[in-house]
Amino acid sequence: MPRDVVRVAVLGVSHPPANKWAKRMVRPAALMADVPNLEVGALMAEQGDVRTYYMGDHAVVLHSGETAHYIDNLRAAKPSLWVSCDNGEVRLVTADPYEGEAMASDPERLVEALAMPHAVATKINAFIETHHVYEEFHKRKRVPATSPHDPRAPRVLSDNEKWVQTRGKAGLPPKGVS
Amino acid sequence: MLRAQQWSLIAALLVAPPDRDMLDLLSSLTGDDTALGQAYRILAETAGSADVDDIAREYFELFVGVGRGELLPYASFYLTGFLNERPLADLRRDLAMMGVERAAGRFEPEDHIASIAEVMAGLAAGNFDASVLGCGAAGEAGFFARHLEPWAAQFFDDLAVAPSARFYRSVAEVGRIFTDIEIRAFALEAKAHRTSGPSAQRL
Repeated sequence: MPRDVVRVAVLGVSHPPANKWAKRMVRPAALMADVPNLEVGALMAEQGDVRTYYMGDHAVVLHSGETAHYIDNLRAAKPSLWVSCDNGEVRLVTADPYEGEAMASDPERLVEALAMPHAVATKINAFIETHHVYEEFHKRKRVPATSPHDPRAPRVLSDNEKWVQTRGKAGLPPKGVS
Repeated sequence: MLRAQQWSLIAALLVAPPDRDMLDLLSSLTGDDTALGQAYRILAETAGSADVDDIAREYFELFVGVGRGELLPYASFYLTGFLNERPLADLRRDLAMMGVERAAGRFEPEDHIASIAEVMAGLAAGNFDASVLGCGAAGEAGFFARHLEPWAAQFFDDLAVAPSARFYRSVAEVGRIFTDIEIRAFALEAKAHRTSGPSAQRL
């Protein structure tokens, strides 16, 4: 299955705690398409008590089977990448909105939907154009027994509906042998 | 008792292909000039001239097959179009109430025509008691009306026209005529019951 990998840099912002019992924590706040030459955890900016840290770069893996989800993502008002953190470390960055929202249902995890950098959106668009296969949505319904598309098996199997051995002992060579 | 024997015969022929002894017994059957008697005479003639291996092969083509046999002799299939559906569940519930259960080592679902025929034989011989069944299905007539009458005739018709059926065509003939007789007999019995009870006096 075709895959593509795009790397993004994750920036985290840490606000001063709102009360004296809370601790400072770094939340992912922005993404960069260009990976800076910095160490993970480096302080990038400090404005008053608000500090911006570099949380490292992470791979966004694009799978050809999920192009429909990427299309949904790019059509949204704000195309996003979902960043999921465990214990202050980035574990997953995904462009699949349904995977991202599924991660967000875990209260132990810190999941943020961050604006997708334009360069990443361009790459995802190119990936979609190469690999997307359009599938028409087919709503399955019960069909009446009188319909020609009746799924029921025939009451009496006729001779031409039976399985007949044609290969091996019966004459033709086995499959794959010419 | 005769009815019990007829149901047993149908069950025995449909549960497995007959062996040589059984064919010899069948070929000694005689019949009078009624439709059922003639059907039995034809069955005896066919059994006398048939070969055991041919019949086993025919049974395989009809009821086992590769993938599936030509026929699916299950109540659930005939009534709903699918196997193991609600008719099987209804039958299992009724059998459980009657205290009848599948013998160890038998793996066919209970709604196979042969097992229902065997239950009918037990009911006709008085070995089983269907009076515990409620909701209009009580008694032998009720059991028959609920589990066999809606589809047995259709099944025997299909057996008669199945492409591989030779010996089983004569079995189908017997089964079809006997089922018709049973349906009419139960209807007569119900009519007699309706016109003889205390409620009939008021009419």
